[in-house]
Amino acid sequence: MIGLAALILTYVSVQSLVSTLEINIAGSVSSLGGEIDVWGKGASYPLISKINESYAGVIKSIHGVALAAPIALAPLTIDSNEAVVAGIVPNQLPALLNYTMLAGTMITSNQSGILSIGKLLSATIVKQAGQTVLLNGANYSISGVYQTNSWLDYSVIIPHLVAQRMIGLQGGTSMIVVITNDPRSIDNVIGKIRTLLPGVDAFRRTDAPSNISPIFASLETITTDIIAIVTLAAVLGIMNSNLNNLRERMRAFAIFKATGASSSQIIRLVLYESLLIGALGTLLGLALSYTVLKLVSIPIVETINVSVILVPSTFIYAIILGLSVSFVAALYPALRIAKVRPQEVFRFG
Amino acid sequence: MDDEFILRTEGLGKTYGNGPERTIALDSVSLKIARGKLLALYGPSGSGKTTLLFLLGGLDKPTSGRIYFNGVEVTSMNERRLSRLRRNAIGFVFQNYNLVDELTVLENVMLSMMFEGKSEPKMRSRALQLLQRVGIAGKEQRRPSQLSAGEQQRVAVARAIANGPQVVLMDEPTGNLDQENSQGLMRLVADLVQGEGTTCVVATHNLEIVNDAQSKVFLRSGRIVGG
Repeated sequence: MIGLAALILTYVSVQSLVSTLEINIAGSVSSLGGEIDVWGKGASYPLISKINESYAGVIKSIHGVALAAPIALAPLTIDSNEAVVAGIVPNQLPALLNYTMLAGTMITSNQSGILSIGKLLSATIVKQAGQTVLLNGANYSISGVYQTNSWLDYSVIIPHLVAQRMIGLQGGTSMIVVITNDPRSIDNVIGKIRTLLPGVDAFRRTDAPSNISPIFASLETITTDIIAIVTLAAVLGIMNSNLNNLRERMRAFAIFKATGASSSQIIRLVLYESLLIGALGTLLGLALSYTVLKLVSIPIVETINVSVILVPSTFIYAIILGLSVSFVAALYPALRIAKVRPQEVFRFG
Repeated sequence: MDDEFILRTEGLGKTYGNGPERTIALDSVSLKIARGKLLALYGPSGSGKTTLLFLLGGLDKPTSGRIYFNGVEVTSMNERRLSRLRRNAIGFVFQNYNLVDELTVLENVMLSMMFEGKSEPKMRSRALQLLQRVGIAGKEQRRPSQLSAGEQQRVAVARAIANGPQVVLMDEPTGNLDQENSQGLMRLVADLVQGEGTTCVVATHNLEIVNDAQSKVFLRSGRIVGG
C-alpha cells in the first residue's frame, strides 16, 4: 500500500510540475492576447526569440490582419528582484491585454522612465503607483498597478521602444502578436506569413505549448521515462510483496481449495483483495500528493515562483494508474496461488 | 452396482518422487465403499491411509488407477468439476483440522458455502445451526486458536458437513483428542451415518472407531492386506 502511495505521489508530482510549467509558459504567450504568434524560427521560447521589428509592418499589410504588435521580452532587475519585462507599443495595449488597473494608469506613451507594474510584483517589492523603482539600475516611476491574472502580474510593462534600447534589440523584437479581422482567416494568414517571412515561425496562439516543443518534448520524454521506470519498479515491488504475502498465506488458500474453491474463485479473491488495498494506497497517495503539492511552489522564470497547478485529469489518471498497477501486480501471484495443490501444502507445509 | 457403492477404486496407485527417491504410497488399491456406511481405514503409520483419503477426496491425482464417485470417474475430471465435487459432495476433516486462523469460527464453517455462492443469511443461519449441533454455540466469533483441540475438531466437522456432502472423509479425527472428546466425535460420526445416511470414511488408529465401523480396510505399505 505504501509502495503504491509512493508511486501515486511521484506520478502526481511529476505530472503536476510539468502541467504547471506548460500552463505557465503557454500562459506567458497566450496572456499576451492575439490569435497568431510569430517567433524567430527555431526559437523554443519567446524570451530567446529575436526577429526584425519591420516584420510587423509586413504582416500588417497582409489582407485580413487587424493588428501586428511587436512584443519585446527580457528578464531584468527591478529593485533587487528579477522579473520578465514586457515591452509593448502603448497604443496597442488595449487590443492585446485584458487587464484591470488597481491603481494609477497604464503606460500611454513612449516616454522613458515610466512603467506599469503587475500587482504581485508590486506586492513583492512593496512599491505602489506613484513610487519609483530601479529598472536595470535606472529610476522609473510607476504609473499604475495592473492585474491580468497571468504571469504578467509578476512583471512590468514598458514602452516597446524603451524596451528595445534597454535589452539591446534596436530594430528588433522578441515576437509579433497578430489579430485578424476574421478568425476564420487565421490559417490563411499564417500561411501567408510563412511564405512572406521564411525566417519566422507563425502559429495559432493555442498551439503555443506545442511550439515550445523542444523544451516540452524533452520534458515529456523525461517525465514519461521517469513514470515508466517508477511504475515498473512499483509493479515488480508490489508483485514481489504480493508473492511473499500469498506464500505466507499458502495454507489458507490450500484450505480454500480443499473446501471447494475453484482456481477462478481464488484468482478473483486475490485480485479483489489487491484492488481493495490498491484503492486505499491510491487514495493515500492522492491525499499525500495534494497536501505536499499545495505547499510547494516552483520557479518559472528567474525568481518568479508559482504555485503548483493541480489538474483534475492528473488525479483521474493517477487513480487509473494505481488500480491498474494493483491489478497487474496481483495477476501473476493470483495465477500462481490458484495452482496451489492442497495435499502438498498440508503434507510439506 | 454403483447404487450400492458410492465410491469405488480400481488399481489405485500413488508414488512420490523419482528414481532412487521413489516412494510407493499406494499400490493397486481396489476398493468399494458402501453408501451410508462407516468405513474405517486402519494400519500402521505410513501405510497410505492419508494418501488414499486425499485421492478419494479429489485433493490429489493418482499415479495409476481410477476412482469412481457415484459411478462417475473422478480421476478424469477437470479442475472445475473437481472443485464442485469437493464443494458439494465430499467433506474433509483433516488430521490437524486445517482451520483458517485469520477467520472466525463462524467464517470457517461458512467457507464451503461461500464458494458455493450461497447468500450471507443462509450461510450464517446454517453455520450457526451446525455449530450448535457440534456443541460450539456461543463461540462463533472466536478465532480457531482460541479453541481447544476438541473444539477445533468439531468446528472442522461442522465445516465438512456444511454443504450436506454425501461422503465425509476424516483423517485421524481422534488423533489429538482426549478420550472424552474422542467419544463425542464418534457420537457425531454415528449420528451422521445413522441419522443422515452420510458415508464416512475414517482413517484412524483408534480401535473403538474400527470396531464400530461397518466396513474395515487394513492397509500396510500401500496395499490392502485385510478388512
